[in-house]
Amino acid sequence: MSGKTATAPTTYSPSPTQKKRQPIFKDVDWIRPDGRGFHQCRPAFLRTGAVNAAAGSAYAEFGNTKVIVSVFGPRESKKAMMYSDIGRLNCNVSYTTFATPVRGQGSDHKEFSSMLHKALEGAIILESFPKTTVDVFALVLESGGSDLPVVISCASLALADAGIMMYDLVTSVSVSCLGANLVIDPISEEESYQDGSLLITCMPSRNEVTQLTLTGEWSTPKIHEAVELCLDACSKLGDVMRSCLKEAASASQE
Amino acid sequence: MEVDRVDGRTRNQLRPLACSRNLLNRAHGSARWSQGDTIVLAAVYGPKAGTRKNENPEKASIEVIWKPKTGQIGKPEKEYEMILKRTLQSICLLTVYPNTTTSIIVQVVNDDGSLLPCAINAACAALVDAGIPLKHLSVAICCCLEENGTVVLDPTKLEEQKMQAFAYLVFPNSVLSVLPQGPSSVESEPLEHGIITSVTHGVMSVDDYLHCLERGRSASAKISDFLRRSLQSQLPSDRSKAA
Amino acid sequence: MGSSGASGDLSGEMEVDAFRRLFPLRFYERHLLESVRPDARPLGRARDTTVALGAVATADGSAMAKIGCTTMLAAIKLEVMTPPLDSSDEGSVAIDFHMPPICSPIVRPGRPAEVAPVVSKQLSDAIISSGMINLKELSLVSGKAAWMAYLDIYCLDADGALFDAALLAAVAAFSHLQIPAVTVNDDGRVVIMSGENEEGKLLKDPVNKEKRKLTLTCIPFSLTCILHKNYILADPTAEEESVMETPVTVVLDSSSRLVSLYKPGGPVLAYMSAVQDCVALTRQRVKELQKILSDAISDMEVD
Repeated sequence: MSGKTATAPTTYSPSPTQKKRQPIFKDVDWIRPDGRGFHQCRPAFLRTGAVNAAAGSAYAEFGNTKVIVSVFGPRESKKAMMYSDIGRLNCNVSYTTFATPVRGQGSDHKEFSSMLHKALEGAIILESFPKTTVDVFALVLESGGSDLPVVISCASLALADAGIMMYDLVTSVSVSCLGANLVIDPISEEESYQDGSLLITCMPSRNEVTQLTLTGEWSTPKIHEAVELCLDACSKLGDVMRSCLKEAASASQE
Repeated sequence: MEVDRVDGRTRNQLRPLACSRNLLNRAHGSARWSQGDTIVLAAVYGPKAGTRKNENPEKASIEVIWKPKTGQIGKPEKEYEMILKRTLQSICLLTVYPNTTTSIIVQVVNDDGSLLPCAINAACAALVDAGIPLKHLSVAICCCLEENGTVVLDPTKLEEQKMQAFAYLVFPNSVLSVLPQGPSSVESEPLEHGIITSVTHGVMSVDDYLHCLERGRSASAKISDFLRRSLQSQLPSDRSKAA
Repeated sequence: MGSSGASGDLSGEMEVDAFRRLFPLRFYERHLLESVRPDARPLGRARDTTVALGAVATADGSAMAKIGCTTMLAAIKLEVMTPPLDSSDEGSVAIDFHMPPICSPIVRPGRPAEVAPVVSKQLSDAIISSGMINLKELSLVSGKAAWMAYLDIYCLDADGALFDAALLAAVAAFSHLQIPAVTVNDDGRVVIMSGENEEGKLLKDPVNKEKRKLTLTCIPFSLTCILHKNYILADPTAEEESVMETPVTVVLDSSSRLVSLYKPGGPVLAYMSAVQDCVALTRQRVKELQKILSDAISDMEVD
């Protein structure tokens, strides 16, 4: 019985590989697969304290995108490095093997890890924990589109839960450009047909942008419109996150 | 009891045991243990200064590296390493050399069934050879359960594959232990009746398991006699070699 | 709680938390004398346990199990393989246990936890040797195609008794698993039957006409106990596991047969009486877990 695992047979997923039909995204007027308006975000479910073993943690569910972020530290820096006046931030994003419709390898996502690092770095008061490291680890349980913005928002909530000093909460929203339309908070299907995407990470109460990523084909007025959309959504998301933290705090006081 | 095993043994009969120590020059201690065609070579290096991270520096740390006969180590080998490590930790006096690491390298020479017990016996002999302070010796044995519920000891690989279930058991051997007998023997059961390690595969009834325990324990007395004899007999020759 | 009475030389006026950190063993022994544990459980009681089925939408079967704070998420994805020649009418199961860095401060990215592969091996041993799954039910076309069930269990929060929670999640995921209706297309590949081509009947033969569930027999359940002196602590937390180092895991199936008795070393020897006590505790626990699982399944069916 143990010998069976030795020769792993090649397998394939029975789900149809080619998309059934090209969706009508190119038209001027179409309905999004989940019935939302173009400028409407998915309902967000946020909860702090998801992982007991961590110093702080948060769980976020935006539609089908489900993410857990744990924060450890400030703790001793793993790498024996030179003395530093400021703390270090260490980020890691990984996916479960069942996060995507076709089974993946469940490996680390290097690109998202470094994007998360850049998005958070500017908001954390690194001077408040010299010589030590704060670890921010994210696991995407299910990927349903707009993964990175959800990870970033969830991470800042986890940092707040861990009591790490920050200038402000960090919120992140992305917009996809599909033909003539801009759709906010796209799902996986929309992301796979997009002509371009814009991701903004900002600190809503300070009105500062910590990260902006633009890919694909854009016209200048479109960019303006997309930035406005994102900033607006970011500040709304910030309110939701703030009320989530307040709820958790008042629950723990009782 | 009638002879009913492929190699002509009775159910309770062990394969011929052999143990030789101090084979490797560079290691601080080494031993080669064979049960029939299953042969394992164990080498001990240490105690070396320092422990790894996440280990308790107030105690000595034990590290086990499993080298399979061929190929890379996978999950089963990782499990063997963990079982060996935990088993050896429990027989070593870890407080004598705090903040040190002792490495045990286990090289499988040939696998013909009962591999893990053979490795545990080899490692125990190697620890003695290296002069690592031990609470007591450990004796490992594999008990197999046939479909009809009879227990077969020390199976070969062929027998292992046919069996419904088997159990790897490790017992202490402490007839001459220097430890005070107080806390370790509870409820009037002698120390040798305790199990250090138990790993089972396959489904069996609880009674069958207890039966295995009994048979394994009585057979372990033979192995421990052999172990003790072979450890003692080589001591004088070691001295003469050193002199 | 009880430790204020632990008037020792150094520990006379120490705060409880400080005492707990500095003298963990004495802190626990003081509790054990009173037959209670720091979380107010009696020694033989397991923590609150919950099972939720269908936690992952992208999987064919999934479950989340929580024992106290220990949280496991298990998901099964079915893929198609060509069965090996010696078992041409059987499917296969591949089990993997993951400890991502989010679950515990000990695990760091790129450096997997030492116990993960060991738990993984134990899980597949328990699940496969218990005979819970009839691999023939995973066959599609004898000799041509069979299901490979990839079971991945993620530890989301590690607080002791990892194997128990992982096994519970794995078993629950299998009981939630739905084998989809599939058919063979013109290229000889197995594809999911979707609503449209079912009507058209342009595909030759549906291999598996409708969604079905596996019939699970002899479901294994487990309980880990910690032996310390003469005490037996059921379902230890991570702190208890680190302070008292002799775990014993007993796996019994639903007809009370022993699937595994796992005691990897440890300073305390297991005597006959302790082994029997552990088995008795596990018997009780199996009944609890069976009820929890069947409640979860019936909740699912009501929805």
